[in-house]
Amino acid sequence: MVGAGLAGVRACESLRARGFGGTLTVVSDEPDLPYDRPPLTKQVVAGTLTEADIRLAGAEDFGARWIRGTAAVGLDRVRRRVRLAGGAELPYDGLVLATGAQARPWPGQVPAGVLTVRGLADVRALRAAVGGGAREVVIVGAGFVGVELASSLVGLGLGVRVTLVEPFRRPLRALGGTVPDVVAAAARRAGVGLRLGTAVSGFRTAGERVAGVVPADGSDLPAELVVVAIGMVPATGWLAGAGLALPSGRVHCDARLFARTAAADGTAGAVDPRIVVAGDVAWCEAVRSADGPVPLEHWSNAAAQGELAAGNLLAGPAAADGYEHVPSFWTSAFGLRIKSVGLPGTGGRVVAEEGEPGSEKVVEAHYRDGRLVGAVSVNLGKRLVEYARRLQEERDRPEPAGDGRIPMPVAE
Amino acid sequence: MRITVDYGLCDGLGQCALVAPEVFALDDDEQLVVAPDPAPELAGKVAAAARACPVRAISVEGA
Repeated sequence: MVGAGLAGVRACESLRARGFGGTLTVVSDEPDLPYDRPPLTKQVVAGTLTEADIRLAGAEDFGARWIRGTAAVGLDRVRRRVRLAGGAELPYDGLVLATGAQARPWPGQVPAGVLTVRGLADVRALRAAVGGGAREVVIVGAGFVGVELASSLVGLGLGVRVTLVEPFRRPLRALGGTVPDVVAAAARRAGVGLRLGTAVSGFRTAGERVAGVVPADGSDLPAELVVVAIGMVPATGWLAGAGLALPSGRVHCDARLFARTAAADGTAGAVDPRIVVAGDVAWCEAVRSADGPVPLEHWSNAAAQGELAAGNLLAGPAAADGYEHVPSFWTSAFGLRIKSVGLPGTGGRVVAEEGEPGSEKVVEAHYRDGRLVGAVSVNLGKRLVEYARRLQEERDRPEPAGDGRIPMPVAE
Repeated sequence: MRITVDYGLCDGLGQCALVAPEVFALDDDEQLVVAPDPAPELAGKVAAAARACPVRAISVEGA
């Protein structure tokens, strides 16, 4: 097991629940025991959940050998060995790739006081900075991490002033429809300074530390602390040269979660029957929009893929089950409880089907070529069950046109 | 089958309702509602719903 996030932990549980009695080794580059990620930017920053509250597994669990704080740095599929930092090699009969993703770093050097937030260590650093008196915070990027952090920080009641800078004109724009505007209005009401349509060109420093963020328009945003929240990059650098297909940096896997090897022309080839993939790192053929496979970076996907990947690894490709999953996620910020099913970002037409568009109680359905592709709710999550059922029916319906082939991007 | 929800943990995320809508639902305020006495043949779905709970608020006995 390489990776000990949710997907890795669920795979461990699944292996043992299915009677796997062999040796199980879990490799993680993080020193911490496995923990749950969604609360990090919300309850853990807010201080309402502790590190113990979000632990997913203990060192005694799964009868596993844990190798923590050590990264996997190479994979030799022919000799069936994972190479670790420091040079040790782990042989395997079966391998689960669940290394997840890392925060996308700022392109260039950053001064002290500029953080990214992806893991527990990052949130510890953020809390320490605020605990140490930082009151002027600029967050670069108004995606899920940026918006949740902004909400949590202004909600602390410590007088932290938060400015959210975003190059696009709307926060959480992936949600589409009117929901991003609802989020923007709620953020402003909560006292967050929103600088939308504003790119960041760099940082101003005082000595070694950050003192401000410099937008491209030449203005200046004073900052004692800066969080760069500009997305994530899949953690597959260590797989370069392993001969696996890595479209957009993720591990290409078939509909049963077996990793595909890279063919000579760089496209995806046959599966490696000893390697399965789960979670943020996966690029799975069974998770598709009309344009082809799409990556999912959601809790529910990591949990479900971890469970199935382990079962399929034990069963082997011939007896493995296909991955069937209606994507879903949730976020909450500024008193808004936002939920989604399907792939709302892939639709062209958005229809408010319950509640008022632009209000804090609404369900918006997303359609593409007349077919439902996703739905987003604000404070009306009870309606999503019906949309999930409709999405399942859409998925089980044959494609209206095309030759059924999956477009394969050239592997990187 | 006996289903127990720890409402101190439940955050109304509704993942259980997506997995086993016959048994779990959210109300108008996004509070979780559980159907009493689910049919025994739903045991597998209820167990899957419990595993799908991000805050592990659902426990199932006798499934």
